[in-house]
Amino acid sequence: MIKSQRLDHGFVEEILAEPGGEHLLTCWSCGTCAATCLVRRYEPAFNPRLVLRRAGLGMREAVLSSAEVWQCSACDACYPRCPKQIHISDVMKAIRNIAIREGYERPGAAARVDTESCIACGLCAAACPYEAIHIEEVASNGTGKLAAQVDANLCMGCGICNSVCLSSSISVEGISDQVVSQDIAALRRQPARGALAIVCNWCLHATTDWDVAQNPPPGVRVVNVPCSGRVTPTFLTTALMQGYDAVLVVGCKTDECHYKHGNALEQGRAEVVGSLLDLLGLEPERVQFAWIGALDRGRFPALLDKLAADANALAPVHWGDTPGYRGEVPAYPSAATAPRGEG
Amino acid sequence: MVDAARHPKVEVLAYSEVERVDGYIGNFRVDVTKKPRYVLEDRCNGCGECAQACPIEVPNGFELDIAPRKAIDVPHGQAVPLIYAIDMDNCIHCYKCVSACGKLDAIDFSQEPETLDLDVGSIVVATGFESFDPTVIPEYGYGVYPNVITAMELERLANSAGPTVGRLVRPSDGAAPKSVAMIQCVGSRDARYNEYCSGFCCMYTIKNALLLKQMNHDMDITIFYMDIRTPAKGYEEFYNRAREMGIRFVQGRPSQITEDPVTHNLYIEAEDQALGEVIELEAEVVSLSSAAIPRLDSEALASTLTLSRSPGGFYMEYHPKLRPVDSPTDGVFLAGAVQGPKDIPASVAQGSAAASRAARVLLSDSWEIEPIVARVWADRCVSAQGRKCGVCANACPYGAITVVQGQPAQITQAKCHGCGGCVAECPHDAISQDHFTDAQIVAQLQELLKDKPEEKILAFMCHWCSYGGADNAGTSHFEYPSTSRGIRVMCSARMDQDFILEAFRRGAGMVLVSGCHPQDCHYISGQQVAAKRFDRIPRALERMGINPERFRVEWISAAEGEKYARVITEMDDKLATLDKETLREETAKARPEIARRLKRWATVPGMAEMLEEEEVLA
Repeated sequence: MIKSQRLDHGFVEEILAEPGGEHLLTCWSCGTCAATCLVRRYEPAFNPRLVLRRAGLGMREAVLSSAEVWQCSACDACYPRCPKQIHISDVMKAIRNIAIREGYERPGAAARVDTESCIACGLCAAACPYEAIHIEEVASNGTGKLAAQVDANLCMGCGICNSVCLSSSISVEGISDQVVSQDIAALRRQPARGALAIVCNWCLHATTDWDVAQNPPPGVRVVNVPCSGRVTPTFLTTALMQGYDAVLVVGCKTDECHYKHGNALEQGRAEVVGSLLDLLGLEPERVQFAWIGALDRGRFPALLDKLAADANALAPVHWGDTPGYRGEVPAYPSAATAPRGEG
Repeated sequence: MVDAARHPKVEVLAYSEVERVDGYIGNFRVDVTKKPRYVLEDRCNGCGECAQACPIEVPNGFELDIAPRKAIDVPHGQAVPLIYAIDMDNCIHCYKCVSACGKLDAIDFSQEPETLDLDVGSIVVATGFESFDPTVIPEYGYGVYPNVITAMELERLANSAGPTVGRLVRPSDGAAPKSVAMIQCVGSRDARYNEYCSGFCCMYTIKNALLLKQMNHDMDITIFYMDIRTPAKGYEEFYNRAREMGIRFVQGRPSQITEDPVTHNLYIEAEDQALGEVIELEAEVVSLSSAAIPRLDSEALASTLTLSRSPGGFYMEYHPKLRPVDSPTDGVFLAGAVQGPKDIPASVAQGSAAASRAARVLLSDSWEIEPIVARVWADRCVSAQGRKCGVCANACPYGAITVVQGQPAQITQAKCHGCGGCVAECPHDAISQDHFTDAQIVAQLQELLKDKPEEKILAFMCHWCSYGGADNAGTSHFEYPSTSRGIRVMCSARMDQDFILEAFRRGAGMVLVSGCHPQDCHYISGQQVAAKRFDRIPRALERMGINPERFRVEWISAAEGEKYARVITEMDDKLATLDKETLREETAKARPEIARRLKRWATVPGMAEMLEEEEVLA
């Protein structure tokens, strides 16, 4: 039971005074944000409306100690739909600032830096959507050197930093280069050709579409990543060299990225990959990109069907014959003889 | 409407536009253009043979374009008067209607627009509202998904006189839907579009739901709402009945609607607040209860009739509680949704009230107005001297002033409400307001700043809002410093820049000008005239060497006693931080310049006596 004696009006005042927290009391609990937000798929307890409601009542302890205030990624999908035009991510940020001042810390894994190999180029700091990374002087082997440092309270674990890192020195647990590559390879281990879809965790809003990602049609394997921005061109070329006939990257529609602008990064890479395929003399449909919005119910299953058909229609790549290719001809798989499409 | 049309003393001018309104209460002159119907009113008997013969079909606006109508038609079956009209934009001049009309010979292709000059005593504005177009809300997919319709479209589809003779069908395939979802507050109670509550949508949605349920008891009906508002008599019972009939109510505002591209069924996602869980509901048809909004032409009509509009765009009443039917222009009355969203009982009540208010004017031989009207001193008005001016006419919110070059400005006193904006704006002091003359106000100012002016806060207050706010501070026993001295005028528009300068010339420590919040101004746009003027003052003061922090502008409503007390307290605190000797030096420095500016006062009637022994006259 919530007892009025334990409600702290000072907490409400504190949030209102914090930049971004001004609109806390404007909320009338219509639930539009809660129904918009996809964080609930991974964190069933997460409900932005209830966070604001508890904060507005002055439930200091319950709000500050909850994991939920840290789970909002500031994608701002709810903001354009909020009938009171409350910037909910700003309110969350205001509450987090109070939490940080009071010594609370974000639970869960943040990006980690291997300071030894970090070359302090600053690409990760520039790419981070949350400005969580700074290049700082750190102690290393008894002397000082410059290296990237992550503020764990700001990191949302999208892995975009890893995708731009030149020396593979920064990574998020569970989605490091190694892990994703292994996932891709592991799916490929059966002696079958087929297609690969690398799908971001957030673009498939409809449950029915998400179910298809979990149980893809025959001939298609799906690997999930937090953000399309995590997908480096290396993943794609490696997948082709491992024998996938076609690869599809699925991310959020422009302006709908869960990590602010990770999809924009990938959209830029899509162009580079296109030229790369051209250089290698490979067909453009070998690597496809698709951007799906929250309203695009039913588009994803159709995309996978098309991908499977495309992969089926494409002949295996003969790496020795590709004009731009200067590397070793991969031994695996013996593409021409491998059976097709048993997913 | 039929009764009205039959009444011997009522003339209905349908299919006509009001072009111009001149005059004042009891003596309006209205120019009306009667558009040509190309059908003679005295011959057409409404039989409809012409429409049957007409080969041209165009979208039917009354049926929200769901059904066709002919190029010669009546707006709808119950139209009054029941006279056909030709839509010349679509007519192909085949003259089949002429043959169909036969002996009646009612069709006349040579008809021209007709202009009527009417003399009327009072005017009732009852032009209604429009429905919000939900196309602009991307997440609801109206206009994208065929089966998302508006409540008005549902209304026509469920109406036995409608295009489907009362059978609700899915626009995508014409099938009868087994499930319908209705979404409330579409475009209303939404800071993105309209913040107000549209008022009657809850009731019509419940009505539509009951209607559908009665047609097909097995229909699955869900209403998504934020709050159900059923405040009038019998409404709550109606709502109860809907609940008992098995209509599902979900408290939660849908975040989005998506469509299955194959079945065209719709999926509504909303958080069920009672459960704190997100539900995804599949429905075959979704009806959006879209907001009532002001008519698109309401701004044009407002300028024709000198009406003002509330923040939502509906016409503003003279007083929200005490004069809800009167407009700010005497003799013009509001009825129905022009004044704000209303359901039928409320519209009928307001219509009856407006009619009796209008009749009051017609039954009177004379009309009393406030004795605080503005007057022009013809000899001081530069327009009379042939110069181009008209500042007063621009400042008048009522269109009461006419300026013709070569003649002094003319004020129609019956239209003047006594805000005093023209008086303060006139650069030549050629206008005065009865009971609020420059001399009277300066006399008050002189008296209030007699002793130790540098310790005083001189507060100008408007009669309707900030004076009420100060009064409220008093009656509510809010404490504030005793250093303030108030001067009441009718509107902040009357607060002449000269008064503010004169107060500083006399050494006032602080000057406050306060009036209504912009949307609350009692004189339509008086506050705006004032605000524009006040914006220029800090720089003017600075140039004269007066610290602009000694001048403050605040908009304080009659309910904001707390704010009034706070503003005075803050000003007093500020004044306490200012060195008195510096204040006196600032005054001494600015005096000659201000005196030079106010020199024209010497010739203003009544002013000379007041300014004896003053350097203004020197």
